[in-house]
Amino acid sequence: MKICLLSYRGNPYCGGQGIYVMYIARELVKLGHEVHVVAGPPYPFDEEGVVIHRVSNHNYFNKKKDFIKPHKPFATFQPLNFYEFVAAKMGIFPEIETFSIRAFFKLKELLKTHKFDIIHDNQCLGYGFLLIQRLGVPFISTIHHPLTIDRSTWFEYPSDFNIKMRRILYYPLLMQKFVANRMYKIITVSHNAAIEINKAFGVKQKNINVIYNGMDSSLFYPVKGVQKKKNSIIFVGNVEDRKKGVIYLLKAMTLTKHKVSLTIVDGGAPNRSTVPNLINKFGLNGRVTFTGKIPIDKLIRLYSRNEIAVLPSLYEGFGFPAAEAMACELPVLTTTAGALPEVVGEHMKTGYLVPPRDAHAIAEGIDFLLDNPDLRREMGKAARKRVLEVFTWENAAHELVAMYDEVINAHR
Amino acid sequence: MPRPRIFGYLAVLFALILTGFFIYSLTLVFNENITFSQIDLQQLSNFTFYAIAAPIGLVSMVVIGTGFWIGWTILAIKVVPPMPEIVEKKDFSKIKAFFMCIITLALGVLLIYGIYIRNFWALAIPAAAICIVILGAVFWVGIAIITTRSTLPEEKQKS
Repeated sequence: MKICLLSYRGNPYCGGQGIYVMYIARELVKLGHEVHVVAGPPYPFDEEGVVIHRVSNHNYFNKKKDFIKPHKPFATFQPLNFYEFVAAKMGIFPEIETFSIRAFFKLKELLKTHKFDIIHDNQCLGYGFLLIQRLGVPFISTIHHPLTIDRSTWFEYPSDFNIKMRRILYYPLLMQKFVANRMYKIITVSHNAAIEINKAFGVKQKNINVIYNGMDSSLFYPVKGVQKKKNSIIFVGNVEDRKKGVIYLLKAMTLTKHKVSLTIVDGGAPNRSTVPNLINKFGLNGRVTFTGKIPIDKLIRLYSRNEIAVLPSLYEGFGFPAAEAMACELPVLTTTAGALPEVVGEHMKTGYLVPPRDAHAIAEGIDFLLDNPDLRREMGKAARKRVLEVFTWENAAHELVAMYDEVINAHR
Repeated sequence: MPRPRIFGYLAVLFALILTGFFIYSLTLVFNENITFSQIDLQQLSNFTFYAIAAPIGLVSMVVIGTGFWIGWTILAIKVVPPMPEIVEKKDFSKIKAFFMCIITLALGVLLIYGIYIRNFWALAIPAAAICIVILGAVFWVGIAIITTRSTLPEEKQKS
């Protein structure tokens, strides 16, 4: 099968969608398929057997200055770029929409030399997809979770009118709803995400297929001989992402009977001001360490060095950090929000589940797990077993191929 | 001077001159007693009028509609209230959102009514606003071209 994957951001360090594309492409190649990836910046890493087609942009939204490329000084005056520039400066996030249009032109060009059997998008859903559908190739999309959840979790935090206005403009929800309802099939990564997509976008359940993400358990494994640091907990995720609920973890640290120390793994922290301010506010100075951006091998050692992984999310469509920690045999304390119970499994067996937004419950959970080292060990082992059985990229790729076949046959 | 920089200056000049003309036209309105509002758009054929009015009206309605939608979303969204410990100041966003809805609704009605009775200002004000935004963006890009570093990154020089 000749498969074309689309991703408006392709790099695994930019979040779940980059990880998804990298592993799915790798596994599909292993199954003998020809895989092309059309991706926007930051681009995916080169992968053996995967052909990457780069779709560039000027990143007007994030670059306040120096958005002019010296070798293409007039590019901003091109219609699509000029639209992207004006929209970005007005606070709209146009990258998804413009990527979809650029991807259409790229695919039109590629289809002259490559006859793709299927095109599979990854969480973009821009208006350009309505054009891609006219290219005559079966076209499906993966939605990891609807962005309505990101927007509402932002609204849970203290903010003013301007911040709220910017957040509403930022998320392209109307476009995604419009396009999602016109896709032949939507794939999502958990049953909870399927329910949320139905609620937010009105996509019929029969058009949504659930295929769980995988976890690279050969990359994430318990490192032998690493000494655990006493009363240590780890949080992995973007602290500025409000739905990660880091504020409830910081509050919980003020309530635990053990004096726990927290390691935050986030490429952008602590340069972002929100969490350092909260640390001051809660009097946690000296108890929180920021690692900044670190390589995977260091992250794995950190998982092995800490006693508990805490993921206090208000919502997760899947929750890669939970699965990573589980693969490293680290007990995970997380919430019952979103797909986390689906991923983590049974409370007290493969993980410890608490209600979302409950700092007291998080504190109790941390104390309980720190008081019970044997249970922690058993929980960690059961968690890794669960990951090995349920969440493999190989399974995900097999299920995807079955789904591709179904869509291609229906298209004929 | 490198060619891109010359074009950058041209873009800035273009935006400045047109903005200058626009400001000059405003002084004409106030100083020379020219009453644009008496320009009779009724004399135009339907096709000619709507060829101008439809695109301007549509763009304006999209902007006004977006404003209303923002206000409405802030008013209607139901979320868990923030943790009391981190609330530093009172949030008046719902009140502001309410006024935003009222104002945008009123502007929308005015615009539609203005286009319906073929009022000059119903087209002139949105057209001026759209032009100012576009000229502002051209000016911004022009300045960015002028001030950008002119040396190419190494990999681009090689290619």
